[in-house]
Order: sequence, then structure tokens, then C-alpha cells
Amino acid sequence: MIGLEHYIVVGTVLFVLGVLGIFLNRKNVIVILMAIELILLAVNINLVAFSSFLHDLTGQIFAMFVLTVAAGEAAIGLAILVIYFRGRGTIAVDSVDRLKG
Amino acid sequence: MEFAQSLRLILPEEILSIGGLVLLLAAAWLGDKASRAISIASVALLVAAAAVTVPTLSGGAMGPDTQAFLGQFRADAFAAYAKLLIYVSGAAALMIAPRFFEQFRAMRAEYPVLLVFAVLGTGIMVSAGDLMTLYIGLEMNSLAAYVLASFLRVDNRSAEAGLKYFVLGALASGILLYGMSLTYGFTGTTSFAGIHAALTGQLSTGALFGVILVLAGLAFKISAVPFHMWTPDVYEGAPTPVTMFFSTAPKVAAIALTMRVALEAFGNQADAWRQVVVFAALASIVVGALGAIGQSNIKRLLAYSSINNVGFILVGLATATQAGASAMLVYLAIYVMMSIGSFVAVLMLRDAESNQIESIASMAGLSRTRPLLGWCLLVMMLSLAGIPPLFGFWGKLVVFRAAVDADMIALATLAIVGSVISAYYYLMVCKTMFFDEPADQVKGASDWAHWALLLIATLFNSPLGYLLTGWFDNLAGKASAALFLAA
Amino acid sequence: MVDLSQYLPILIFLGIALALSSLFVFLPMGVSRLTGTHNPDAEKLSEYECGFPAFEDPRSQFDVRFYLVAILFIIFDLEAAFLFPWAVSLDMTGWPGWITMMVFLGELAIGLAYAWKKGALEWE
Repeated sequence: MIGLEHYIVVGTVLFVLGVLGIFLNRKNVIVILMAIELILLAVNINLVAFSSFLHDLTGQIFAMFVLTVAAGEAAIGLAILVIYFRGRGTIAVDSVDRLKG
Repeated sequence: MEFAQSLRLILPEEILSIGGLVLLLAAAWLGDKASRAISIASVALLVAAAAVTVPTLSGGAMGPDTQAFLGQFRADAFAAYAKLLIYVSGAAALMIAPRFFEQFRAMRAEYPVLLVFAVLGTGIMVSAGDLMTLYIGLEMNSLAAYVLASFLRVDNRSAEAGLKYFVLGALASGILLYGMSLTYGFTGTTSFAGIHAALTGQLSTGALFGVILVLAGLAFKISAVPFHMWTPDVYEGAPTPVTMFFSTAPKVAAIALTMRVALEAFGNQADAWRQVVVFAALASIVVGALGAIGQSNIKRLLAYSSINNVGFILVGLATATQAGASAMLVYLAIYVMMSIGSFVAVLMLRDAESNQIESIASMAGLSRTRPLLGWCLLVMMLSLAGIPPLFGFWGKLVVFRAAVDADMIALATLAIVGSVISAYYYLMVCKTMFFDEPADQVKGASDWAHWALLLIATLFNSPLGYLLTGWFDNLAGKASAALFLAA
Repeated sequence: MVDLSQYLPILIFLGIALALSSLFVFLPMGVSRLTGTHNPDAEKLSEYECGFPAFEDPRSQFDVRFYLVAILFIIFDLEAAFLFPWAVSLDMTGWPGWITMMVFLGELAIGLAYAWKKGALEWE
């Protein structure tokens, strides 16, 4: 029997993978965008699992809002990436160092 | 009837969203040559929204009458106070922008529209009564802000700032969201009032993770240590009017939101989050003070200064009392005026070819070459440092007093030590301006709008500001009463 | 022991799918051979998908205009995700629900008008 805890574990694993993906990735900014999507996926799994477990629709509605915002976020992220690429000719993570910090 | 009542309560948001959409169409059809007219119309929108917000604050609105859409949205005095600060900073960012972008021939009609939407998002954030409203408001502000940060297409630094802001901002929303999903799962509701009622007694591990992750996500947004690393880069790289906006409106909104979440939704668990807030407050004060030393770029210096100031504001939150919340609101108002003043002053530093000057070394001897600008900057720096005759001192004083009243004397003492350390770098800037050999680089003339804003901010932060203390105490008292009524 | 009989429907489904799809592939081939229209040349034999050659470096750059269209598509795709739950619950939400969705659709229309005016829908 698959219970609530299984979903939470999957959500946690995906969340940690996403966060690690942002920090450990040294290659390509697109991978960071994917990692962000992974984090939002983890959130959605949590929300839907809790919603079904609690017999409460709020979580599913919340998940839809997250989906929408995630699409908007990806669109804007890619747009900024295009501008960045036009200026620098590369999207390697190591090149994002003009501003020291 | 509930629906009609709700629509009346969100009047400021309606003005901004309908006006913003109309201006968006105007921007598409009239093109960039209409950007000045659209900027003026946007300022008018903000003024109109502020005008309908004022009665909410002065009337001290609170309680069930202020709840729209079944409690998802609150139009109480607390939200009104934060919104007025946000509208002021938004209007300032609109007024100083045309002159700045025109020198790069980069003024576009979308700038004021994006700014209006960002302000709308921050307004929704401070009015949130539910995790969902919180998230929508936060993202509405962030998505507009990402674009604004990379708005200056001719400058590579701007695109890089936008990219960094985007990646770390998205990470922050992800962490916040994950915390919200856990909070929802372990309390069974997303409304602040419901979470408040559900989180009594011993906190379960899952709910504790939820609370801490939500606070960590919010700490990202207010750039509190240890989630501050994006701030100097983004503040340096973003166009200066946008930087001014970042250091004011979204910060006010995120701090107000943190207050609402911590004091209302998690109000029964103050002991669980107090250590986190105390740590973030002290670490922000120390990192802000030490990081600023040795910076050669004035925008980076002001970024560390804003981290430092967030630390002082969080001292008020750590008390978890109504007096502390009131003190935070007073400090926020003063902080907004200090930020507007110092960034406008930075914007006015130009060389003979009217390029922006950002290095502190080229400000040497400013008091002799441009006396008025030099003195205004002096007032800003000393006020940021909290040196007594200036108004910045009052903000720090009320926060420390609230901490002492709440028996957090050790925290107050450490914060005072931190403020002494941070005074060092502000004084270094003043020394460069007043005692070093003139570098004689600052030449360019400035717009009247810049001068007007700078002089207003200087007067506000001068000892004349103390005339306003009674008024501010009254308003902040009403706002914090509205916050604590729900808690 | 797992009860395999519960998977019978999917087995039948896969069987029908296999039969139908092989029919669709092989029937035209056979018909073209029989009717004499089987006349391959280099252009006809090169496989393609959405204007791209199918086998090339997957990391190559592609035209930014594809991305623009894709983003516009996503927005209206997600709009549909809101429309379905709205439609089935309209008897509970009533007029406020209807007005709210119309406001949402109006905002999307304004966004589309903006993109249209800015030339995001034109390929050249």
C-alpha cells in the first residue's frame, strides 16, 4: 500500500535534487532552469498528496497556481537567458562572473 | 453581497491593474516615444491608489470588515501602511527613470508598465491573508522585477544581474513554496487564521520544517544573512533606478509579509522561530557592516548597507510584541526615505560625458566641487549610520527600545555594537567626500525631479524629521494594532 | 502470485493498437507498390520533423522564434487547465465565478493583443 509518507519522501528527494542541481551544476544555465522546475514539481507532488490525504481541494487549486506561475517563470528565465546570450555569446555558468560575489 | 464588498476593498489593486493593462496597450500602440507620457500616467495611477488607501490607514481599519474574498485578502491598516510606503517608492522609481535611461537611449514604454505591475504584486503581498494570495503576490512582483533588473540591454552587467536575481529568486520561491506545502499538509489549511489556530501546543517535526522553510524563503526575499549573497551583485548590476526600487518596495513588502506570517500565522509558535530571527538579525548586522568595508563601488556599499538595515528591522521582529512591530514599521518608513535619497544622489553622480559614476574614489572632494549634493549625501550617510541629530537615529532607537522592553537586552546590546561598527564605513564615505583632494569628476547637470526627490529625502532625514515622530507613532500604532488583532 | 487477469484489458488494447498501427504503415506501402507510384528520390527519403533534420547534434542552436511561439502556446495551454475545473464547478461558484473567469480571459486577451502588436506572432 502506497501511503502519504511515500509521496512526501518522493517530494523531498526531488526537492533536494533540485536544490543540489542549482548549486552543484557548473556547466549550463539551462540546467538551472530545469532544477527550478524540479523543485516546483516536488512542491506540486506534496500539495496534491496532502490534498488527497486531507480530502481538501485547496491543495489541488494551489498546485494549479504553482503550475501557471512556473510557466511564467520559465518564460521569463529563458527570455533573460536570451538577452544574456546576445551580450556574451555563452550561457556557461562559469561565465556569470562579471559581477564579483 | 460578499463579492461586491470584496471588490470595494481591493479598490487600490483594481486601479493599478486596470490602469496597468490600459498603459500596456498604450505602450504597444504608441511606442517608445510615448514613454514619458506613460511614466506620468503611471505616477498618477500610484497617486490615485495611494489616495484611496489613505482612509484605510487613518481610520485604523481592522477586523472582519477588512477581509475580502473569504479572508484571502486583507485590506486593513497594516496593509495600508506598507502599501503607502510602496507607492511612494514606486513613484520615486518612476520619476527618476526617464533621465537615466535616455542617456543610453534605452527608455522604453514598458518600464513604467512593468513597475506598476511590480507595485501591484507587492501590494497583494502585504494584503495576503492566505498562503495562496501570498504566493501570487510574491510572484507577480518577482516576475516583473526579474525583467526590470535586466532592462538595460546595452549593459552586460544588467543582463547578468537579471540572471542572478532570477535564479536565486526562483530558488527562494521554491524553498518558500516547499515550506508552504508542508505547512498546508500538517495544518490542513492555507489561511493564516486557520494555520494560527492549528499550530498550538507542541509543533510536529513536519510543521516545524514548514515554518523554518517558509521563513528561509522570506529571508531570501528581504536579503537577510545567510541568504543575502545575491544582493550586492544584483544591486550593482541592475540599472540604478531599478536598484532603488529593489531596495525599497519589494523589501518593504517582504518584511511586512514576514511580519504577517511570523506574528499572525505562526504567532503561536514564536519560540520556535525566535532563535532563527535573532540569528538572522545579528548575522545581517555583522555581515552588512563588515562586508561594506573595502567596497569601492557605491552601489555595492549601499547593498551591504541595506543588508545591515534589514538586520536592525529584524531585531524588532524578534521581540514578537506589538511594540516591536510598531517600531519595525517606523524604521521601515525611515529606511525607505534613506534609500530613496541615497540612490537618487548616486544617480546624480555623472562625469562630463554624463556617464554614471559609481566608484567611491571619484566622489573625492565632492563637498567642494558640488557642495549641495555633497551635503545631501552627508545627511544620507550619517542618517543611515544612525548618528543622533539625524532621523535615522530615531528608527534605531525605537527598535532598540522595543527589544529592551521585551527583555532582550543582550540582543539590543549586540545590535548597538553592530551599529557602531557599521558607522565606520559610512564615515569613510563622508571622509572621502569632505577631506580628500577633489577628484573633480562629477560634472553633469541633473534633472529637476532628481533634485526635488533628493531635497525631500534630505529634509525628511534631517533633524526636522523629528517633527513627524508623533504622527508616525500614531500611524504605526494603528497598523500594528490591526496586525495583532488578527493574531 | 499476482493476478495477471486484471491486465487483460490493456493487453487487448495493445494488441488492437499494434494491429491498427501496422496496418496504417504497411497498407500504403503495399498499395503504392501495387499501383506503381513507388518512386523514391533523395528528398522523399530524407526524414524530418517540424522542419529539422531528425539526426543532428542535439545541442545545436535553434531559432529563437520557435521559443517565442512555444511560450505563447504555454500561456493558452494553461488557460485551458483553469477553464476545465471552472466549467464543472460553475453551478457552485455562480455569477462571481463567471465574472472572475471573464476578467481572467480579458487579461489574457490583452496580453495576446500586446504580443500581436509587438509582432511576436509574425514569422518573418
